[in-house]
Amino acid sequence: MTHIHTSPGELDAGDGRSVAKRNGPGGNAPPAAPERRNRRENVAGYLFMSPWIAGFLFLIAGPMVFSLYLSFTEYNLFEAPRWIGLQNFTDMFADPRWRQSVEVTSWYVLIGTPIKLAAALAVAMLLAQKRWGQSFYRAAFYAPSLIGASVSAAIVWRALFSDDAIVDRTQKVFGVEVGGWIGDPSMIIYALIALTVWQFGAPMVIFLAGLKQVPRELYEAAEVDGAGPWRRFFHITLPMISPVLFFNVLLETIHSFQIFGSAYIVSNGSCGPADATLVYTCYLYEQGFVNSRMGFASAMGWLLLVAVGLVTAVLFWSQKRWVHYEEGGR
Amino acid sequence: MSQNNGMDRRQLLRLAGLSAAGLGLTAAGCGSGGSGSGGPVTIRHSWWGADDRAKKIQQCVGLFEKKHPKIKVKTDFQQYPDFWKKFNTQAAGGNPPDVIQNAVTFLRKYEAKNVLLDLSPQVEKGNLDLGGFRSGLEKFAEIDGKLLGVPVGSNSMALVIDEKVYEKAGITPEIGWTWDDWLAGLQKIKSGQKIAGDAGPHGVMYLYDLILRQNGKAFFSEDGMGFGEAELLPYWTEALERVKSGLYADPGKVEQIKPASATAKGLSAGEFTWDNFSVRYSAEGRSSYGLAPIPSTDGKKTGQYLGSLMLSGTARTKHPAEVATFISFMTHDPEVARIMGYDRGVPATTAQFEAYQPADAPSKAIGAYETAIADAGVLEPITPHPAGADVIEAAFLRIGADLALGKTSPKDSVKQFFSEAKTALASN
Repeated sequence: MTHIHTSPGELDAGDGRSVAKRNGPGGNAPPAAPERRNRRENVAGYLFMSPWIAGFLFLIAGPMVFSLYLSFTEYNLFEAPRWIGLQNFTDMFADPRWRQSVEVTSWYVLIGTPIKLAAALAVAMLLAQKRWGQSFYRAAFYAPSLIGASVSAAIVWRALFSDDAIVDRTQKVFGVEVGGWIGDPSMIIYALIALTVWQFGAPMVIFLAGLKQVPRELYEAAEVDGAGPWRRFFHITLPMISPVLFFNVLLETIHSFQIFGSAYIVSNGSCGPADATLVYTCYLYEQGFVNSRMGFASAMGWLLLVAVGLVTAVLFWSQKRWVHYEEGGR
Repeated sequence: MSQNNGMDRRQLLRLAGLSAAGLGLTAAGCGSGGSGSGGPVTIRHSWWGADDRAKKIQQCVGLFEKKHPKIKVKTDFQQYPDFWKKFNTQAAGGNPPDVIQNAVTFLRKYEAKNVLLDLSPQVEKGNLDLGGFRSGLEKFAEIDGKLLGVPVGSNSMALVIDEKVYEKAGITPEIGWTWDDWLAGLQKIKSGQKIAGDAGPHGVMYLYDLILRQNGKAFFSEDGMGFGEAELLPYWTEALERVKSGLYADPGKVEQIKPASATAKGLSAGEFTWDNFSVRYSAEGRSSYGLAPIPSTDGKKTGQYLGSLMLSGTARTKHPAEVATFISFMTHDPEVARIMGYDRGVPATTAQFEAYQPADAPSKAIGAYETAIADAGVLEPITPHPAGADVIEAAFLRIGADLALGKTSPKDSVKQFFSEAKTALASN
């Protein structure tokens, strides 16, 4: 996906130093001067970055290291943390609610992510063709991504899927009598999955960008050779957008593992009924902030990090087999 | 969400900068206020509840500030579960509000962590008036000689009923009725009125406590559980049967109308809850609602006690005298009683009790109910609630609901409950 073609204007603009040299007062000065200026610029740069660096160190890196320590302790926020070694982790594996949370989360990731990506790709393919009102549809399909993660959308979702609400009534028209999904432990997870699928706008836009990069000639050549739409999709579109697909799979999978807000709100803060929406972070939150088991919660957090890391590693390893980069693209 | 991380961090940073600046300002403010120059002192008060309670408390605070111009009260409130999450974090960070609304399940938990202020020195100094409390309520939050809270209003468990349904079914609950009478009533309601008789009491810790107390036990002992699997298993097995037979409301439906109550939404003819909660039923539902007494095992003993919400100070407050003055005002001033009504129970002091004459039917019913149980002599002293009681209460409610939904067998539910109770007692 690299461009060989470069406009003449970009040639020297790409190298900051040459521009600085040309614009500086001493165009022919000895090389030491720009270096000193560079160093000064570096200092200035770091100074400007310092709030961010301080924020990273104190608000992210520091707390992370501390929570790693906490994960080997029993800590109720009030008394000093007590070192208990790996007990938090062994407790976790013995805890049926923890296993339930792993199960619910895996289910959510394994079902939600593929459906969401399939929907995103399908709609992106429809919108990639030049049609009347195309920009409107793109905006319309993207909109849920902007509001979908919000609290209000989750509240609306709870209302939609309750007894006698629109989903229940529509079901009844078709003779499906399962009642509202919100109160049914075996159905509520699908309400959550529907909520995430509905937000397919973000991966859709990325797919759209990917689809635009596929050279038209390939399709024309394939058509001349008599390839039908399915063949063209599987043999041209999919391989050509596989880097984008990989990117989306990676992003959405990581994102799905972190689901919290929608589960918490759709279940009215209970992550129920019957722990049916007890996603991993929900249980982590409950243990940490309701039951004051910060050590246990930290251990859960680190295990999630490791698990997501492993899944990411597996995805990266697998891409050798199915992701096709154009020559020189990687 | 993950794409926006950079943005979020930057926002967070900006917030951090702002709050750091804010901290500097408050620190400066404290420095000048605490120097004894006689300038106004600010105390922070937070509570849990809905908007209407907030409005009432705000009115009381306005009145207090008028009468005590040197004390300013900053207020804050959340819903019940969120309140405690926030308070826990604030207390752990050493920055809790000066005065909080408190409940009995949290007393020992925060006493063990030295979070609560012992108010007894303030009683001696005359900043806190402990006179004129009804039925010994001033002792309610006394633990190991420390006064950890002052009751604002008494409440007691009751059976809230849909009066129209009970009337049509021809059932009149009276003091002294038994669980058998109650069950016969449920069956009558189910067959005649085509509605579940009860919302399902199996997750209500405070009710199960009463049942245990009727049988000479209690939910908690001083430092642990007051009952075992042998008691709970038959109770929950029976509950599941009653859910299946329709005597108790459909748990899936109950789940969906939360946080509204099942009885107010017409899913059941009654449910066990605190008597002062009944005020909200007429606002939520269409029928008329009344209070029925707690059934007994032997026709006499109901195991009931007067419970109460409290106001507690926190130990790190810099202004214990002002905290005591505020609590004293909230519990004794007649005007406060007229503003608050029975929102937090029947006022705890005689002065406030007499100052407020309820005009609306639900409040009248609450007053009548508490007078009736006091006259019947069924009230007994409350049994202790150890640290961790709050977590155990939540587990009982959740596991009780899971059981009703048919997700776990009674046996597994009981096992799960005791395992979680053990963890809660150990880690709190």
